[in-house]
Amino acid sequence: MSNPVVHIHNLNLKYQQQPVLQDLYWTINRYDNWLLCGESGSGKTTLAKAIAGLIPSLEGDIQLNFDLSSALPAKVHYVANWYQFKDLEGASNFYYQQRYQSLATAITATVIAELTRFGNDQGLSFDTLEQLLTALGFAALKNSALLQLSSGEHKKLQLVKALWSKPQLLILDQPYNGLDKLSRANLNDLLIELSENGTQLIIISNETELPATINRFAVLAAGKLKEISSPESYTKQVEEIIKPLPSFLQREKVSDSTGISDSFFGLAPSSTTTVHIIKMIDVNIRYGDKQVLKNINWEVNAGEKWLLQGHNGSGKSTLLSLISGDHPQAYANNFYLFGNKRGTGESIWEIKERIGLISPELHWYFDASATVWQSIASGFYDSSGLYCSPGSTKHAQVDELVEYFGLTAYKNTLMNELPLGKQRLTLLARTIVKNPAILILDEPCQGLDQQQTQHFNKLVDELCKDGTTLIYVGHFDSQLPACIERRLLLEDGAVKSVEHLLQSI
Amino acid sequence: MSNYFNTLPLREKLNQLGVCDFMDSSEFLDGVNALKGKKLVVIGCGAQGLNQGLNLRDSGLDVSYTLRKEAIEGKRDSWKNATENNFTVGTYEELIPTADVVINLTPDKQHTAVVTAVMPLMKSGATLLYSHGFNIVEEGMQIRKDLTVIMVAPKCPGSEVRAEYVRGFGVPTLIAVHPENDPEGKGLLQAKAYCVGTGGHKAGVLKSSFVAEVKSDLMGEQTILCGLLQTGSILSFDKMVEKGIDPGYASKLVQYGVEVITEALKQGGITAMMDRLSNIAKIKAFEISEELKTIMRPLFQKHQDDIMSGEFSRIMMEDWANGDKNLLAWRAATGETAFEKTPAGDVKIGEQEYFDNYTLMVAFVRAGVELAFETMVEAGIKPESAYYESLHETPLIANTIARKKLFEMNRVISDTAEYGCYLFDYACKPLLADFMKTVDTELVGKNFNEGKDGAVDNRALIAVNEVIRSHQVELVGAELRKAMTAMKSIKTA
Repeated sequence: MSNPVVHIHNLNLKYQQQPVLQDLYWTINRYDNWLLCGESGSGKTTLAKAIAGLIPSLEGDIQLNFDLSSALPAKVHYVANWYQFKDLEGASNFYYQQRYQSLATAITATVIAELTRFGNDQGLSFDTLEQLLTALGFAALKNSALLQLSSGEHKKLQLVKALWSKPQLLILDQPYNGLDKLSRANLNDLLIELSENGTQLIIISNETELPATINRFAVLAAGKLKEISSPESYTKQVEEIIKPLPSFLQREKVSDSTGISDSFFGLAPSSTTTVHIIKMIDVNIRYGDKQVLKNINWEVNAGEKWLLQGHNGSGKSTLLSLISGDHPQAYANNFYLFGNKRGTGESIWEIKERIGLISPELHWYFDASATVWQSIASGFYDSSGLYCSPGSTKHAQVDELVEYFGLTAYKNTLMNELPLGKQRLTLLARTIVKNPAILILDEPCQGLDQQQTQHFNKLVDELCKDGTTLIYVGHFDSQLPACIERRLLLEDGAVKSVEHLLQSI
Repeated sequence: MSNYFNTLPLREKLNQLGVCDFMDSSEFLDGVNALKGKKLVVIGCGAQGLNQGLNLRDSGLDVSYTLRKEAIEGKRDSWKNATENNFTVGTYEELIPTADVVINLTPDKQHTAVVTAVMPLMKSGATLLYSHGFNIVEEGMQIRKDLTVIMVAPKCPGSEVRAEYVRGFGVPTLIAVHPENDPEGKGLLQAKAYCVGTGGHKAGVLKSSFVAEVKSDLMGEQTILCGLLQTGSILSFDKMVEKGIDPGYASKLVQYGVEVITEALKQGGITAMMDRLSNIAKIKAFEISEELKTIMRPLFQKHQDDIMSGEFSRIMMEDWANGDKNLLAWRAATGETAFEKTPAGDVKIGEQEYFDNYTLMVAFVRAGVELAFETMVEAGIKPESAYYESLHETPLIANTIARKKLFEMNRVISDTAEYGCYLFDYACKPLLADFMKTVDTELVGKNFNEGKDGAVDNRALIAVNEVIRSHQVELVGAELRKAMTAMKSIKTA
């Protein structure tokens, strides 16, 4: 009988003087592959980091017993749910629009340079790398700079490193966030193969489509671990309390539903018959030789509810960045926003004023040194962080929304001290706080559990009742708002199909 | 051409040196209107040129770039920066004649050649915009009388100008109108609109003059900003190695220490920086910084005098004419110092440890900031200008040292600043030789508090605090920092 691979005894851990883990016990035996689930803020990431040896001071005992006869490296590899890359000078002061701009001199390493550095550090064989890159659909990105990758692509890069290094114990923290359906299936196949070759897995996730090798399940709550029989049995006491929408978000928007006011751009809209919010005519975006959007023709009229889909890297984020005023190549394309051609004297702040935007990249690069309250209030000004005093009306509205999202206890907490799920809720509140005429929601529920996702999507339905225009990106049909009626599907930067969805999905 | 400042009567010298007005945000309510629909043509597309242009365009203005024929034909980096971001690019002949505002963002050294080339092509009544006044003030460039000449100088590297703009904020900015070239009285309106276009109006705008900007900028960069940081870094490193401290540790302490220490300076001035020390270390740092001020005051005064008289510019321009002989030799010598050549060791240094083990640098920074500020104010520069050019910019420069040591600092700053920095450094090191003999590792390399009883005399501490807190740089700084509360903290090592 061999020793357990991981033996945790009486583990206690505090974060900012608050207990996170309390007298926690966990035994992981050989051939165990665990799923760890639990609410946002329950301590899943903290526990994972403790096992990986990334928390310097803790109370209690964590024993790791590696198999010394195994050919696999005797180590734990932890893939974080959040990570920072650095530029060539070691700084990481980036902003999310930066990857759309072009600068003649490279400021970050390329994917292949980063992988070469990692492989050399870890003493890995480069023979197996190609195969892995192909399996995760990453081969074409080898020469891209780190700065140019989307959040899903960054996630894949971290997964490539983990799978390549074949550790004896692999901990994956929210590995499915930002991955499309195909990538998830491929990842699961690779994980099965890996575990058949001797790597043990701990997956932290609230998803239910898991690799078949996962054979133990646990839920973390109130600082303790409890084994459960299946991931489906992890259902929280469903509190079906649908809170009434804050009153300031219920205002009639019909008169302003187009997002066009007389004073906008100082001009009347050029077309008075149809009220298109967006009209793209043969839009192309390229970086050097790489074309990321090809001849896009797309028209969105006021009040329409769109679903935008496509694989990781199909160009969704780039397309949306044109609409939100974040892409410099907007000026070189035949492209109308609110009835006026882009680049005819409008400022990006006039555009942003009408749009509530959230995306993985916006979250990723958001100013984490602001408090929850400040972050939500910054939605009034479309800024990352708050730079002015909002005045009493807006102040009260932010308070109301903080309460609505259940964030009252965290109102004065800095974003970087909160778990990702809570950060995401904060940014969702920021997105809707000004009750914008257009909502652009790019994977808004990433990092939320299924119940929170349902709640948010219901809120979106509610907000969209009175003429709000919606563009929603989501990979999973079961996790979408009901109001969606049309779909634009992208493939390799081109429009693959435009559909009417008669029935709600 | 002769030095513009020296052609002025004393009354007018003092008048222009004294222009200094911290502008209220209500001054910017007209937005970019004064430039709306006008043709803005930027000369040069490096970091400042590209990032300012991106901001201006995103603010609804019409921006294009003009480059020399060779840069366009050779598809140089400046050409790529502009075209790949979908800006129109053309030669001087193609674009300058249509321009309402010509924005000169080339290095100082090229100004005379560039302005001489574009001026005849500019249409009557157009505006010429500088981001530094050296060409006008020190070289005495004469601009055609129908043209308006303004300055807009964001007080941050170009990359920050863009990063802060898209975050919804901006960087502190200095603006000025050249009194000899404001025939239509539109200079100030255009400068303010330009500020709104780059986002600077949200972070505090100082109205200055070409003269005040040049004389204070030169002084700041030569003495506290670059000169003293270079001298202090090299002396600190050498002292530690001499006393047997591990060179890897010494290199890391010096490379990152100045950034960590001046981050406190940025947030709360000299007071906050000194407050990061224990009481006994603070009193010690106060004492040696007083000593340093006494030793270095004549050198700071000499630099200020040479800047005011034009002597500094004269000898530097001689070096330009001489193919940068001195500059290149000094640059090479800096690259050869032991500090530059010793990589930072793989050791963890905690944030507080940078203060406790590097008390000497805290003393250098206090002495340098206060001396530079006092010397500028004595020479007729207003305290607000002096604050910007001393305390405000020190953390920005310290950040460049943290990135890649002195080489990086000298690469990022202008050639003018680099030249002045070496000039100061070469004079300052011998001046401090005797002082450095008295310095031991308790001040640099080891924890000052180690093995000491931390008790202090109440009255002595109160007296020291009083002197630190009531200095004019602290009083002015507290006011100006209110406008910059949202400045992002630099991530420290």
